[in-house]
Amino acid sequence: MICRAALSRGSQLAVRRQGARGFAAAASPKASYEPTTIAGVKVAARDDNGPTTRLAIVAKAGTRYEPLPGLTVGLEEFAFKNTQKRSALRITREAELLGGQLTSYHTREALVLQANFLREDLPYFTELLAEVVSQTRYTTHEFHEEVKEVIHLKQAKIKPSAVALDAVHSVAFHSGLGAPLYPTPSTPVDSYLNEHAVAAFAEAAYTKANIAIVADGASEAGLQKWVEPFFKSVAAEGPALSTTPAKYHGGEARIASVAGNSVVIAFPGASLGANKPEIAVLTGLLGGESNIKWSPGFSLLSQATAVAPGANAKATNYAYSDSGLLAIEISGQASAVKKVAEESVKALKSVAEGSVSQEQLVKAIAKAKFTLLSGSEVSGVGLVHAGANLIQGGSPLKVAETLKALESVTGDKLKAAAKALLEGKASVASVGDLHVLPFAEDLGLQV
Amino acid sequence: MPLVAPTLAPYVKARPWLSKLVQPLANWYIGASGYRQMGLRADDLISEENETVLQALRRLPPKEAYDRIYRLRRATQISLQQKVLPKNEWTKPEEDVPYLAPLIEQLDAALKERAALDTLAPLKKH
Repeated sequence: MICRAALSRGSQLAVRRQGARGFAAAASPKASYEPTTIAGVKVAARDDNGPTTRLAIVAKAGTRYEPLPGLTVGLEEFAFKNTQKRSALRITREAELLGGQLTSYHTREALVLQANFLREDLPYFTELLAEVVSQTRYTTHEFHEEVKEVIHLKQAKIKPSAVALDAVHSVAFHSGLGAPLYPTPSTPVDSYLNEHAVAAFAEAAYTKANIAIVADGASEAGLQKWVEPFFKSVAAEGPALSTTPAKYHGGEARIASVAGNSVVIAFPGASLGANKPEIAVLTGLLGGESNIKWSPGFSLLSQATAVAPGANAKATNYAYSDSGLLAIEISGQASAVKKVAEESVKALKSVAEGSVSQEQLVKAIAKAKFTLLSGSEVSGVGLVHAGANLIQGGSPLKVAETLKALESVTGDKLKAAAKALLEGKASVASVGDLHVLPFAEDLGLQV
Repeated sequence: MPLVAPTLAPYVKARPWLSKLVQPLANWYIGASGYRQMGLRADDLISEENETVLQALRRLPPKEAYDRIYRLRRATQISLQQKVLPKNEWTKPEEDVPYLAPLIEQLDAALKERAALDTLAPLKKH
């Protein structure tokens, strides 16, 4: 037992507070985001009574919705730049003084402006996000001196695996979802990307109908109080953004590159709202990334990579609002990538033949459940999913129901799902040493 | 050194009666300084040898930057020839607008704000 006198004032306070509250009294955190509408803006909130808050504006302005190439990237980089009220420098310094973090990033469907901060600073950051959305000035000098430079720097860091993933989306969905997530240095965007085009895109993207506010760790009362006055200046509706429903095409793309080697094999997957638990379980079964340190792991793709050291592989289901892509991404040395690509197609074929044991199925379901739960818990992923669902008109992920669906997956269902994938058209992209990397036909896939 | 010399112009402009009084004198001074006879604008005379002005010049729209260079070269040429332009090519008063000064002011304001934010002192409440 520690003597009371030995404790500093701070820790004494902490001890006392703990005693006063007690563990039983702790408010249980809510697992799902609760959707509401405040002053015409869609809001999804979850409050775990923690000391920090993550507040994000998720706009339906990902690369899928950009009218011209590169505009999403431009809009992302223009976030937290000069506004009518204050300069970019002031925004940065004020956020630093409050201990907050400001980030902007995008996915294929959503553009996210996020602020992480201490709970009591909710009014300041709500105002800031509203200001960024409605009053950014999109100045010419910032575009040339900062935005363009940052885009060039980020382009220089694009890895072959990202190029391959973009290529596979392109052959799978053509336009829309097929637009590259980040334009490569060889993509001609200069004629489309300028501050005027970005400002016009912002007008269409940042409207009340097109954005959702996602708050993780903010009180409902605080949001009710602050969202309404600050988001008054955001336009209710703007020019419509083009949206065409995604259609899966399939095909093959081969891109020569000296930067590295990557092969992505993709099949139509499960969309965000789709009731396709077998795809999630299949993703878990294929796996790839090891769950244990110092071991390649025991999933099908881990076994495939064990045969050819020097390459790594992972399976992911990229879920979008109306479509999805189950992708096996392999990267590493050219010969190893080739070997792993062959092995992973073999593994998928063995699943389609029904060789999955009960034990493997249980493991895969457990893995799928963990991915789902940790995804909705980890702030970044859960935040984007909740926002994406809201702006597409769906409701945030219902964790309990989805878990139940995952448990109901049987070996037969899995076998049927894998068979359907292999019988349909695949999308294959190879980036790197094309002399070594295999064609889809050699892998035994239809494209 | 401040880029623009201390001036009473804003004070005078804010008072119409004073402005009316001083304007003829100002017009005479502009005419006497002779830059308009060489086809220049007042902002062409700002010294370039300064980081802020160089940055402001970089921010000029391409057309403005081209016209500026043209005016400067033409002025240099006629200065060598010891001539002034024919009267119809003199800079007209309505053309003599500040195009560089606003950019310099904007840059100065940004520098000032940066300096102010960099020297913030925390206020201790205890």
